[in-house]
Amino acid sequence: MLARVADNLFWMGRYIERAEHMARFMNVNYFSSLDAPSSTSQSREFVLRSMVNMTGLSMASSGVLKEQDVLYRIGTDPGESSSIVNSIKNARGNAQSARDLISTELYESINKFYHFAVDYPTGKFVRTGLFDFTTQVTEMTAIIRGKIRGTLLHDSIYAIIMLGVNLERALQITRIIQAKYLDALHAEGEQEEGFRYSYEWTTLLKCTESYDMMRRLYKKQPTSTSTLEFLILNPNCPRSVMNSLNQIYRHISILDPLRIRDKDSSAFLIGKIRAEYQFKSIEDIDNNHREFITETLSSLSAIGSRIEGEFFYY
Amino acid sequence: MYLFTKPCPMQKRNTLFSSYPRDPGLFDELFDQEGKVTKVYSKLFNLYGKNSISDYLELNNKAKASFFNQGITFQVYNEATTREKIFPFDLFPRIIGAEEWAHIEKGVVQRCRALNLFLHDLYHEKEILKAGVVPLELINSSENYLEQMVGLDPPGGIYNHISGTDIIRHKDGEFYVLEDNIRCPSGVSYVLSNRAALKRAFFGVFNHYDVHTVTNYAENLLDQLERVKPGGVDVPTCVVLTPGMYNSAFYEHSYLAKTMGVELVEGRDLYVENDFVYMKTIMGPRRVDILYRRIDDHFIDPLEFRQDSALGVPGLFAAYKKGNITIVNAPGTGVADDKAVYTYVPDIIRFYLGEEPILKNVQTYHCSRKEDLEYVLDNIRELVVKPVDEAGGYGISIGNCLTDTEVEEVRQSIRNAPRKYVAQPILSLSVHPTFIEESQSFEQRHIDLRTFTVLGPDSSYVLKGGLTRVALRKGNLIVNSSQGGGSKDTWVLQK
Repeated sequence: MLARVADNLFWMGRYIERAEHMARFMNVNYFSSLDAPSSTSQSREFVLRSMVNMTGLSMASSGVLKEQDVLYRIGTDPGESSSIVNSIKNARGNAQSARDLISTELYESINKFYHFAVDYPTGKFVRTGLFDFTTQVTEMTAIIRGKIRGTLLHDSIYAIIMLGVNLERALQITRIIQAKYLDALHAEGEQEEGFRYSYEWTTLLKCTESYDMMRRLYKKQPTSTSTLEFLILNPNCPRSVMNSLNQIYRHISILDPLRIRDKDSSAFLIGKIRAEYQFKSIEDIDNNHREFITETLSSLSAIGSRIEGEFFYY
Repeated sequence: MYLFTKPCPMQKRNTLFSSYPRDPGLFDELFDQEGKVTKVYSKLFNLYGKNSISDYLELNNKAKASFFNQGITFQVYNEATTREKIFPFDLFPRIIGAEEWAHIEKGVVQRCRALNLFLHDLYHEKEILKAGVVPLELINSSENYLEQMVGLDPPGGIYNHISGTDIIRHKDGEFYVLEDNIRCPSGVSYVLSNRAALKRAFFGVFNHYDVHTVTNYAENLLDQLERVKPGGVDVPTCVVLTPGMYNSAFYEHSYLAKTMGVELVEGRDLYVENDFVYMKTIMGPRRVDILYRRIDDHFIDPLEFRQDSALGVPGLFAAYKKGNITIVNAPGTGVADDKAVYTYVPDIIRFYLGEEPILKNVQTYHCSRKEDLEYVLDNIRELVVKPVDEAGGYGISIGNCLTDTEVEEVRQSIRNAPRKYVAQPILSLSVHPTFIEESQSFEQRHIDLRTFTVLGPDSSYVLKGGLTRVALRKGNLIVNSSQGGGSKDTWVLQK
């Protein structure tokens, strides 16, 4: 596979995954805040600030946020490089240049996704379409992932796409955790108990489509500890950082089975980070959430740069 | 009023064609001079006739949506936004009978073989120029003659591996060759996607006809390309070179790479080391042996041709000269497909093959010849004037559509550069019923046919089908897609 095309496929996977998490985060946060238990977490400013934090949008840190403005910029603003619509545009652009390598079915689903997003009327989106648009985005990404898994050869092309998908997933999940962690702190202040039992953990689980399964496993109201344990360390939770790392390791091994012994290789770095998370317990994290989240984000970006250096721009 | 006559059971009223305006002065592929349906079309005519206009419209919309969703589109650029458009496609296929096809196929292969010998001669002994069959000035003044190719022997001795021959049917019912395209002829992916779309929309009709498949194009192409691999290579690596995804034919490039199962590369993916060509893969460099390039000669290598080309590969031509890579089509083929050389093709065929041309040429006047020039200047109204080196239907003036001032302008540009122009009598291209969306009915539109021939060292392959292009604007004779043309699926019958 050409290095340039591999780069494109990697980013195709990343942009598809990114669009999904952004859309789901907006959707769940917005609608669950409408009847949230505390007045802080019910306020518009609170939920909009949370969205801005998660997406990393550059907006003035003081001053009142305007709802339609924030929704527009995150959702359908063609001039905002990190908007959902631009993620989808980039996903298609990358798919297009690798069109000869992927299946017609996969390309068609990405292309339909693109046309859906660019044609979505902005006025409708910011006034009444938030639920509709974000729900459709998450559903269409699920279809696309199905086409990736179901119509491609599971060879190096597939491995590159899945590397992108899973790396982005781990990154987005960590960013969502970060945003909700800040929300919980903000909503409950420094109160130990309040923070521990904050309503924001429920929202966090819903933002990652993991609430129901988490309840099944723990059979108790989510707390900061159980939620973070589930979303970071549980290898069976398909959205957990651990699960993503396992997937990343699996796919780098398809790509590069022999280089695992070379300590400068991506495979070696991924193996090392994965082992670190595999043998971590929630007690190791519980006292320094903030630092741990920052470390996770930087480990994940290190994996990204190592992959790019080894395969795309050698 | 036929509306009130009892329909005869054999020939039920065909609502699709009830308002078909037929101009008896034109050659209609479907109806003969008396308005009767021709033999090859009769079954199809009845089968389509079972649909109402609204059925047909629905199928038409579905077919369009399928092209759009698959991204078989081209970009239209304007002020602020770029819009994607599909190439207009007509659901009523064009049928070519087995006998007629055999004639066409023999004719195009003969032409392509002769042009290949002609190219070899031009870059070697130049016998044909010495014999005075083709005038020396014609070649000397051609911008497409590449000095760099003199004395070079392309692997397998093939220059024009892939040729697109444009053929029309005149109102006398005969086929004429309008143009040879032996640089980078495009359009073959539309043949295949037109067939796919038609199969989805009207699958039932295929049970009634034995239509040759077109889906074997890619495997035949790859097969022929692998036969012209450079010496010393066992299992060659073939790639398709594209200018990139913003090129209007990018869909075709990716389609060809995908169906041949080879990599689609851009210039920046390749590099040359010690006169060998490599592509940059995730596992390091990999040697490339056969390069099916879809960029023009002048852009393939900035060291040898246009220095500002970012599309090509520095050093590619040196590798080619060493015989380490096959470039398809060979550089320098453009000298043999320009519109001035076109007129000599019948003589070229006689000279190299000692055969009479199977397909006719259209009578052409060269403005570089004194007597022709005078005739052209006096009779512009009856002629089509074409620049010799433009492709895509640009710069063509059709005499009977010009205003008086335009006629004067054309005269002036011919006088300024006679070598640049040829003229042909205005041909009446045959017409074919075509669904027109604005009027929601079938109307006559002019069509042509582009055939695709793949030439190998000892065998050849002609795609049994081709691209029937339709001039969608009423009365228009120019069928190129850049000029508002559409296309039709083309059926070649097995018997």
